[in-house]
Amino acid sequence: MTGAPGHNLRVEGLSIAYGSGPRTLHAVRDVSFTIARGEAYGLIGESGSGKTTVAFALLNYLRGGVIRGGTIEVAGEDVLAMAPAALRDFRGNRAAMVYQDPMSSLNPAIIVGEQIAEALRRHRGLDRRAAWERAVDLLALVDLPGPAALARRHPHQLSGGQQQRVVIALALSCEPDLLILDEPTTGLDTTTQAVVLDLIGELRQRVRASILFISHNLGVVAETCERIGVLYAGELVEEGPCATVVSRPGHPYTAGLLRSMPRADRAAALRPIPGSLPDLTRPPAGCIFADRCEVASAACREGRPGVRRLAGDHLARCLFPERVADLPAGDAGPLARAQGPAPDDAAASLPKLAIEGLGVTFRQRRGLPLIGRLEETRALDGVSLAVPRGQTLAVVGESGSGKSTLARSVVGLIAAERGGLRFEDKALAPRAAGREPDLLRRIQIIFQNPDGALNPQRRVLDIVGRPLRLYGRAPAAAIPARVEELLALVRLGARFAARFPHELSGGEKQRVNIARVLAADPELIVCDEPTSALDISVQAGVLNQLRELQAESGLTYLFISHDLAVVRTISDTVAVLYLGRVVETGPTATVFAGPHHPYTDSLLAALPEVGRPRRPAVAVPPLPGGTGRGCLFAPRCPQRIPGTCDRLVPPLAATGDGRLMACHVPLAGLAEAQRARDAGGRD
Amino acid sequence: MVNFVVRRLAFMVVILVGVSFLTFLIVNVLPGDVATTILGDFASPEQVEALRERLDLDRPVLQRYAEWAAGMVGGDFGVSLKSNQPIGPILWNRLANSLVLAAMGMAVAIPIGIALGVVTAVHRDSLLDRAITATVVVIFALPEYVTGLALIIVFSLEWNLLPASSLVLPGQSLWANPMTLILPVAVVALGMLAYLCQVTRASMIAALNSGYVRTAVLKGLTRRRIVVTHALRNAMIPTLAEIGLGFGYSLGGLVVIETVFSYPGIGQFLVQSIQNRDIPGLQAGVLVVAAAYGIGNLVADVGSLALNPRLRS
Repeated sequence: MTGAPGHNLRVEGLSIAYGSGPRTLHAVRDVSFTIARGEAYGLIGESGSGKTTVAFALLNYLRGGVIRGGTIEVAGEDVLAMAPAALRDFRGNRAAMVYQDPMSSLNPAIIVGEQIAEALRRHRGLDRRAAWERAVDLLALVDLPGPAALARRHPHQLSGGQQQRVVIALALSCEPDLLILDEPTTGLDTTTQAVVLDLIGELRQRVRASILFISHNLGVVAETCERIGVLYAGELVEEGPCATVVSRPGHPYTAGLLRSMPRADRAAALRPIPGSLPDLTRPPAGCIFADRCEVASAACREGRPGVRRLAGDHLARCLFPERVADLPAGDAGPLARAQGPAPDDAAASLPKLAIEGLGVTFRQRRGLPLIGRLEETRALDGVSLAVPRGQTLAVVGESGSGKSTLARSVVGLIAAERGGLRFEDKALAPRAAGREPDLLRRIQIIFQNPDGALNPQRRVLDIVGRPLRLYGRAPAAAIPARVEELLALVRLGARFAARFPHELSGGEKQRVNIARVLAADPELIVCDEPTSALDISVQAGVLNQLRELQAESGLTYLFISHDLAVVRTISDTVAVLYLGRVVETGPTATVFAGPHHPYTDSLLAALPEVGRPRRPAVAVPPLPGGTGRGCLFAPRCPQRIPGTCDRLVPPLAATGDGRLMACHVPLAGLAEAQRARDAGGRD
Repeated sequence: MVNFVVRRLAFMVVILVGVSFLTFLIVNVLPGDVATTILGDFASPEQVEALRERLDLDRPVLQRYAEWAAGMVGGDFGVSLKSNQPIGPILWNRLANSLVLAAMGMAVAIPIGIALGVVTAVHRDSLLDRAITATVVVIFALPEYVTGLALIIVFSLEWNLLPASSLVLPGQSLWANPMTLILPVAVVALGMLAYLCQVTRASMIAALNSGYVRTAVLKGLTRRRIVVTHALRNAMIPTLAEIGLGFGYSLGGLVVIETVFSYPGIGQFLVQSIQNRDIPGLQAGVLVVAAAYGIGNLVADVGSLALNPRLRS
């Protein structure tokens, strides 16, 4: 917010708007910050905060936005005043960017080495050969294996983590003064994210650039950056040293964000931030956060608060930063667990859902039709799990683990080939079409993408009313009243009934989805990553909602997630899936307490969390499929027993503390290895 | 890559067998007796019987089909009922003429159509874009006989610059009077370039809005390199598929243009076969057109393979 001496990037009073007239969206307002050479600055914000708009503005790339004021200087040069030719010399050369989605940022038709070499030819005047050699060197710099061969590959032939390393190599190619990382690890698996974060940490030592690290994930930013700035609805509300901001936030929004974050290292209740983003076509005259603030008073709405210096370089745009410390901590109040089933009920002793040896294989023919080689992928391989009534079983795993296949098999969208599903005492047909309507009604699913699950042509009233009609849950005349009740259950007012999906925010859409699912009056809800597309403060609300509904009506959840912190918050029992097999399952607290299965351990170790050091990642390429013999995780496993793990499939056996684990290494051996490693610290 | 081509060729064979069988069945779906239908009501019973014998109508359909198909594979296209000449040489000549028309039309349409598509996409929503796009839409909407007749009226009748007809006298080559080619080629090219312009414009707009073009812009590359190397290369993939289809269309679908200009191509051959109730001619002609469509598509697919590395692995 104020200039530190020797700064390399200086942003002063930056304001950016989109559109014109009364619909003008004031996306970024009066944002100022500086980054010194060699410093990493984290910019935190949720969707709508304007963080990506700021990032692109630093390259004078505005995409329809209009600069309403302010200056941007990189190494003393005014970026906003550059003529087109000067701008072309600046971009990719003095300032470079790493994007959120590496697959779409690379040209699918051009080999990756050429995509780096063309920048070197353009800015460094190298000839073809020299540029190519330098590109290969850069690929080696970002730890890509076999860089000379890899340079000749096309983007689709690389994994997501490798693609992102190519983009990082491209950004570093001309040794820029400013390196912008826009959510560089979002969308990558936890263990891949860890490898990329380690690389960024390592490159920081060698690169003398100013780094702007943009993320919605405080844990990721906290481990990478010296200072962070918190952006809310287009304004920088707080800035300071990383450790200070996360331990003693000076702005109520930052505090709210921290309390919305689920944690994997301890069970904690979440406290969502109430309300939603203000309308940025008419930003309020007072504090931008006042409407959602728990410590705001009348003075906050009268004028925009100035920047207060809390200590050293810890700044907050708040009238009452001292009140933030008094905010209640993450304690939405312990939630009442669902009452156990009545003991006289015969069906009650049965699990609500039993998954018995489920197997799904996807086949794709390569080469010639009919006679070509049939390639098989085992998405699920002998998965057996049980979900007790009124409880939550979480299934965790990375992409390719088969967790979504499991969710889709349970609701009958994918027909399992082997094994079976039982719902209480009834066997479920593999396909939804073979199940009787009442069973379909009792098992519902909430999808990951709330957008895709809502018909854009229908109003909320029709969407939520549809299951009521379909399953005859309410007479036609009573539907509007029932929809209103359901919307109230998910904390949406009756006025939402008349809206179309495009008039809803992401969190509101997912609430409508939950209301739609509840309209069927289900007993088991399959939640397939229901919050992964949502902002953290919104996610907290949805997770709390799901728990409250469970406590009130005894719902059973099968909760699919890649996010260990979310799993710890929501589940009673957890199952860890790796390449279609369960490697560990048991009560959530026990599984998180450890000692862990080596795969679970690698997931937990890779997780960046505020105030908890992450261990460096072990860069082992994942080997999907494997030989079919032995433990599938053996090629990546640090505790592998040669001769055993690569030959014998470990059985899923009881560990004696209520868990089942598939590992040849005895629990005591795992405990010792993990203790020894933790004692060794980060090195 | 080789695998892909072999697979596509296998599919093409399947398609040709299907098309040829359906074509062959035309003989059997004609109402009443085929021979009577061909010869008309005033034919004598002897004539009808002779024709029945020539067409082998008394033998089972499958057997006749198998022999006919074997003949086709061996290059024997049968004998025309009209002229009693072997169909093969006539057909090849007509096919060659149509190829000339199609190739010349495409040679004009492809560069202009793609260039217009790129220019309108790069200057999207500008006055230039609106003018070109509007003109192209009008051309595309006009039937070929309208554009054809309009060109004849202006260039042949009013200004007397170009011949109105491409009629080739017996024993003469198509090239004896190259001026006669200009108007039909122009009509073919106009329709095709209008279509290619629209396809290229749409795929270029998608490419220019893509993440990789944003990367290219923020790499500081020149505008020319961004448009040509990064955007156009990917935008050409759908355009190429349309060119393949257009090639097949130019060989068999130019019935109207060939009729308007009396151009001795394969479209005109089909029309004449129908008029003359020359069933063997019609069957052979349809099969050749189907094969042309298949080859056009195959060439386009191999082309997209070269442009789209994701298809190669």
